[in-house]
Amino acid sequence: MSKRDALAEAGKTAVLQNIHGLMEFLRKFPPFNQMENAHLAFLVEHCQLRFYAQGESILKPDDGPVQHFYIVKQGRVVGERPHSARRGTETTFEIATGECFPLAALLGERATRTEHLAGEDTFCLLLGKDAFVRLFALSTPFRDFALRGVSSLLDQVNQQVKLNAAADLGAQYSLDTPLRELAMQQPVTCPPHTPLRAAVQRMHEAHVGSIVVVDAAQRPLGIFTLRDLRRVIGEASAGLEQPLAEVMTQRPFHLPPEASAFDAAMAMTERHIAHVCLVENERLTGVVSERDLFALQRVDLVHLARTIRHAGRIETLAALRNDILRLVDNMLAHGASSTQITRLITQLNDHTVCRTIELCLEEMGDPGIPFTWLCFGSEGRREQTLYTDQDNGILFDAASPAEAALLRGRLLPLAERINQALAQCGFALCPGQVMAGNPELCLSRDEWARRFAALVSEATPEHLLGSTIYFDLRAVWGPEDGCEQLREQILADVAGNPAFQRQMATNALRQRPPVGRFREFLVTRRNGDAAGTLDLKVQGLTPFVDGARLLALAHGVTVTGTLERLAELVRRGVIDAQDGAAYEEAYHFIQQTRLRQHQQQARRQQPYSNRLDPDDLNHLDRRILRESFRQAQRLQSSLALRYQL
Amino acid sequence: MNAFTSWLQRRGPQLSAEQRARLARLPAAAPLSEGPLAGERLVVLDLETSGLDPRRDQLLAIGAVVIRDGAIDLAQQFECTLRSERLSPGASTLIHGLAPSAIAAGAEPTEALLGFLEFLGDSPLLAFHAGFDRGVLSRALRQQLGYRLQHPCLDVAELAPLLCPQAHLREAGLDDWIGHFGLRVEQRHHASADALATAEIALILFSHARRQGLDSLAALARRLQRWRQRQLAPSL
Repeated sequence: MSKRDALAEAGKTAVLQNIHGLMEFLRKFPPFNQMENAHLAFLVEHCQLRFYAQGESILKPDDGPVQHFYIVKQGRVVGERPHSARRGTETTFEIATGECFPLAALLGERATRTEHLAGEDTFCLLLGKDAFVRLFALSTPFRDFALRGVSSLLDQVNQQVKLNAAADLGAQYSLDTPLRELAMQQPVTCPPHTPLRAAVQRMHEAHVGSIVVVDAAQRPLGIFTLRDLRRVIGEASAGLEQPLAEVMTQRPFHLPPEASAFDAAMAMTERHIAHVCLVENERLTGVVSERDLFALQRVDLVHLARTIRHAGRIETLAALRNDILRLVDNMLAHGASSTQITRLITQLNDHTVCRTIELCLEEMGDPGIPFTWLCFGSEGRREQTLYTDQDNGILFDAASPAEAALLRGRLLPLAERINQALAQCGFALCPGQVMAGNPELCLSRDEWARRFAALVSEATPEHLLGSTIYFDLRAVWGPEDGCEQLREQILADVAGNPAFQRQMATNALRQRPPVGRFREFLVTRRNGDAAGTLDLKVQGLTPFVDGARLLALAHGVTVTGTLERLAELVRRGVIDAQDGAAYEEAYHFIQQTRLRQHQQQARRQQPYSNRLDPDDLNHLDRRILRESFRQAQRLQSSLALRYQL
Repeated sequence: MNAFTSWLQRRGPQLSAEQRARLARLPAAAPLSEGPLAGERLVVLDLETSGLDPRRDQLLAIGAVVIRDGAIDLAQQFECTLRSERLSPGASTLIHGLAPSAIAAGAEPTEALLGFLEFLGDSPLLAFHAGFDRGVLSRALRQQLGYRLQHPCLDVAELAPLLCPQAHLREAGLDDWIGHFGLRVEQRHHASADALATAEIALILFSHARRQGLDSLAALARRLQRWRQRQLAPSL
């Protein structure tokens, strides 16, 4: 080695110190954390580092085709374009440390459509177009990222969640597994005239708990399970030679084979059954048992639901809260989606509410007045989390105001007792007194109708707030038709009142998603300062919930769930399908983040809170959360445009 | 061999013919330009030395990055640790952070300095507390290469309070300014990392300078001159 070479060599390793430092920095961010060392070094070595003072233009449409790939090393870049509805400009996006731009323009070999400005003093790494093209060819992770952007990140998160789940419990199946994969290949079947004795014999030989009775075309006519056998023996009327058709459960519940394990678990919980037939083109293709599901999942949902329904005392119900908590923990660990979790919590809560009502009726004596237990708010939307308080009311029938007052007097003590019992079971008493024990919420059908009509016709702030709670109503216990009539009335009233819709829209814009908070947290953060945190529920979910409610009520959509409302609005062409999908994804992610936080708080025995310090998230989650908040912002903008606010 | 020649050989550098040829090919230093800052090539320098006395202490390492076309060009960097035999390991190791083994394994000083001059070309120098770095570098170049450093040199430690008086930082060190601008430095007290941090500060300062109508190195130097005089003038 000549002296010059030696020097070049020494110089090279020395130069690597700074290159190395920048590589270490980039490795904190995707996609750089997935790139090979040599490719990342190539990237850094071909960059220049440039400074932009706050407000300085970095890229603008007039600059012509984009010549560089930019990575924010420090600071913040904002995108501004002329406001669609008003004069001036609006900020369309924010790009923070470790993020890149402008991929679409660079790949499309065109100019940027949005001016990029430095939102604060900012340093960017600039990679020339030639080096970008070379890197694009060299590095697969870089190429994937450049082509797919943030959606490739979302895939990563989902993979991570599943990987973690697998690591936690060694489970190989998720609740999304199609039933086709879980069911026995050859279900045990028999024709309807099979004698009971022969059928039980076959079940015994096949080690199964059920046999499906089919006709010649393999169409399921009924199912006979071990539980049916106990019933038959208990009745003692049946002989062992009796044809199975006479003792089977007719018209067995069935699902298509592509339905998920979760669907089956929910059906079993809801219907108190332990077996679900799989039917395709009317033919039986398989049977899934509770055991099949939970051998995999170790998540004994059905068992828990049954225990709740048979609990003999309020104290037992209260103790079962811990089991619900553990179940949710397991489900989250298995990679269950936030919708699955909230549906499950709602369903178990419904069981708890029903059992509580039954126990209170036993305890206090049945007043003999038929009534419906209504729930509102998140419970009404089936979006409950573990962190929930009571929003409920009672609906009954009365012929006159005088009779209504009389019946109310007799129902109120029971209602109050139920509220207290529910509080014992972990449903916090509603600080706003939205509870059935409140005389204003224990009403006859006419009284409810008048109350709801007033909410729409007299727009006061309290009425607007009331509409966001009461108009998501649902019947939990008792006859449902009264509740449905009220809903139809609400839909008609809202559809015919554009002024009310406009006020609901204004209300839906009050909570602005804190997109701007996602900056350089390390700098702005102070110990114990709530200003550095954001509220996942109020600032993240509420914009979606409010927006979906408004559009649903205005367009006669009867379902109450936010995602169901959005889906129906897409079907009816009120919301663009792509927007709908983006909203759904965003809503999911915020809810998922919130649930994970609640579980952690429960584990650490901290009080539940919806406030999150974004610093506590890893970079990927933080970035997706910010995108999700931005979708909430977009939904609000579309409302503002629609209602000309 | 007369006494004068032998004195020269004893005192002067021992250069090979090839090295002398390289030395001769070096361009002359350019004066500070009146052209816009964005058009300049500047070499931002940071040195590690065995102590804090520019007249006695030894040059141990050179780190340099280049500002060109208004940006730091990461493809052009220089860093070199210099070999030294007669260095006493002591408290200074704590300052420069270079292990005696790294210094022993460093590049031969003549080659290192010649390599640096080739990297420098005719560009002006920029450093934090430039007087110190320039002093150490000049002495090393004179002793090792018999070369007289004539490149103009701007001091970031002077430019910063001149251009950012609102920072209220006087006699502040590199760390203070790094803190003031909220810069992220991966490895402080490493010649090339400090050079990079100094260059980042320089980019921010140039942005301030342009907004103050000072868009050339010559104009900056003149303003510095006046500022220095004002600082020295007795307050009345």
